[in-house]
Amino acid sequence: MDQNRKKKSTYLKGEKINHFRSLSGFEYKETYTKSDWDKEIPDPGVYPFIRGIHKDMYRGRLWTRRQQSGFGTPEDSNERFKYLLKIGQTGINMDTDIGTKLGLDPDYPLARADVGLQGTSLSTYEDMRALYADIPLDQVSSTLIVQPPYSAVIMSQYLLLARKRGIPWEKLIGTIMNCAITQFVGPTYQANTTFFPIDLTIKIGLDVMEYIVPRMPRWNIVNINAYNVRETGVDAVQEAAFSLSVAADYIKALMARGLDVDSFVRRMAFFSAAHMDLFEEVAKLRAMRRIWASMLKEKFGAKNEKSMWFRSAIQTSALPLTAQQPLNNIVRTTIQTLAAVLAGTQSIHTTGYDEAYSLPTEESHKLSIRTQQIIAYETKVVNSADPLGGSYLVESLTDQIEEKIWELMKVIEDKGGFIQCFKQGWVEEQINEARYTLAEAIESSDQPLVGVNIFKEDDEEVKINIFKQTSDMQAKRIHYIQEYKKNRDQEPVKRALGELCDLARKRPETNLFEPIMKAVGAGATIQEISDALRKTEGFKIPV
Amino acid sequence: MAQQKRIIVGKMGLDSHDNGLRIIAKWLMDIGYEVIYAGLYNTSERLVQMAVQEDADVLGISFLGGEHFYYTRELIQRLSHGDMDHIKIVFGGVIPPDDVVALKRAGADAVFVPGTTRQTILDTMEGLFD
Repeated sequence: MDQNRKKKSTYLKGEKINHFRSLSGFEYKETYTKSDWDKEIPDPGVYPFIRGIHKDMYRGRLWTRRQQSGFGTPEDSNERFKYLLKIGQTGINMDTDIGTKLGLDPDYPLARADVGLQGTSLSTYEDMRALYADIPLDQVSSTLIVQPPYSAVIMSQYLLLARKRGIPWEKLIGTIMNCAITQFVGPTYQANTTFFPIDLTIKIGLDVMEYIVPRMPRWNIVNINAYNVRETGVDAVQEAAFSLSVAADYIKALMARGLDVDSFVRRMAFFSAAHMDLFEEVAKLRAMRRIWASMLKEKFGAKNEKSMWFRSAIQTSALPLTAQQPLNNIVRTTIQTLAAVLAGTQSIHTTGYDEAYSLPTEESHKLSIRTQQIIAYETKVVNSADPLGGSYLVESLTDQIEEKIWELMKVIEDKGGFIQCFKQGWVEEQINEARYTLAEAIESSDQPLVGVNIFKEDDEEVKINIFKQTSDMQAKRIHYIQEYKKNRDQEPVKRALGELCDLARKRPETNLFEPIMKAVGAGATIQEISDALRKTEGFKIPV
Repeated sequence: MAQQKRIIVGKMGLDSHDNGLRIIAKWLMDIGYEVIYAGLYNTSERLVQMAVQEDADVLGISFLGGEHFYYTRELIQRLSHGDMDHIKIVFGGVIPPDDVVALKRAGADAVFVPGTTRQTILDTMEGLFD
């Protein structure tokens, strides 16, 4: 193609985009009028909360700025936490490394090369103490990113630390992610079934929830990771339907344990994605709020209005972020952050512009926080609750998306619920199909991506600061855990692990949280506890 | 013709972000490669063993979290000790620019970073056998 000739003709004709479909396939109309939407909707803070769960929304309180962080040793991450709090982060979002998320200690051969790379390495109670050094647990809220069964171990470490520091548990504010299906790389099958038996995973997740409910009234017992669902490549409707369906499974399971729905459901929350289609993302979140409220009231018989609040954190989606022309990502994440705010979320993580290269550098972390602060303090978009409410377009799109989400939720329910669909491989099929479709859309430029399939610079030389770990970090962690295991008092560890094993075997219906906490307190590592539980089912893991 | 070639694709270590791997596996299959999907949690030992058993022409490994040096070094060493230098090795994923250069210097036949188009990937693969 003759570039000059093409350019000239564009100057004369003006540019045009290639289609008017939304990212999830809804056709945007040329104009929206009263004929598309002509209804009355309740105000913000009023059931079914389509316009937001609070009457005054951000006028009363801004969203929490909660950047995910965690890398290297617990000491490394402690430094970064303190830095983030100093520059204006308002909550901690603690991420663990993959070994921790799979119940492996740093010295396990297959775990060695991944120690501390995608999160911080936490094996022991001592590690948690180092991670939260100088950080007052009752004054900062924390999200602990780890799924069952390992969530039981990490939660135990945190609770034991609070007890040691004399902080009553009821004062703790935060979240344990704790979703057995959506947390770890989304609901992908191999990742969630290889290192621990899936039914026991789900069971221990419920044990954690059941244990927390009466003891920590301000702690979220589970956070459905809709973000990780979306990042596999599925669309907004699937993101919403999948995650709401998982939540429904948990509600049923806890009610089956005899818990009153109003006693726990207000402590369930969601973690959603904000992709690039601004109106669609706003509509998605508004629709999810309405569905949640109606589901809780009509289906599960909740009485307390707070039980009907759909509370969500949002992370700006990393899927559209590009390695090419990485500064463009700052623009993308700003628009996504704006979408999250217009949608009325409770907390935001703005993804780093360097996402396609490495974990965020300090500079990139700071830029994410500043992006949120600029939107909060300079743009005035926070001044009114649900500023897009009543827009013909947004309301009409909200209705359309809501209808599709309900439809898909019905399909899932008819198949026996989301967990059943996951176990049978149906979810995996849906995800794979979505991945291929998305890749095809980018290849064909049907989904334009600046710098990748349009406005490319072929001889581009990327200049970007890359986050680097200290070179001896992994060796240090491996050495630490080996020494730790050698030098501790062995007898109490052995006894606690034996008791846990016995209980899990002989009385499998018992809540295992307390015996797990006992093992943590006795000095057992995350892998020792996980192995003890694996052993009860003769479950083998890759070496 | 590259189309008759056998390629093993997989991930090494604990990282399980397999989006890119799945897509590339499909693209290769679509144009006639024989793809053996090794999935997640592989060691270099297992992959090399597989390469022998399957008589593979290419090993394609995807990384995300910064673990690429550890595993590629191990894999390349094992291949050369086993006298299997004829097997092409291709890496892909979240790999910083400087590391791409270093990996190629260490023996990678190709490295694909995020945003590489299907055409570029397939052309490069084809070129490996010219």
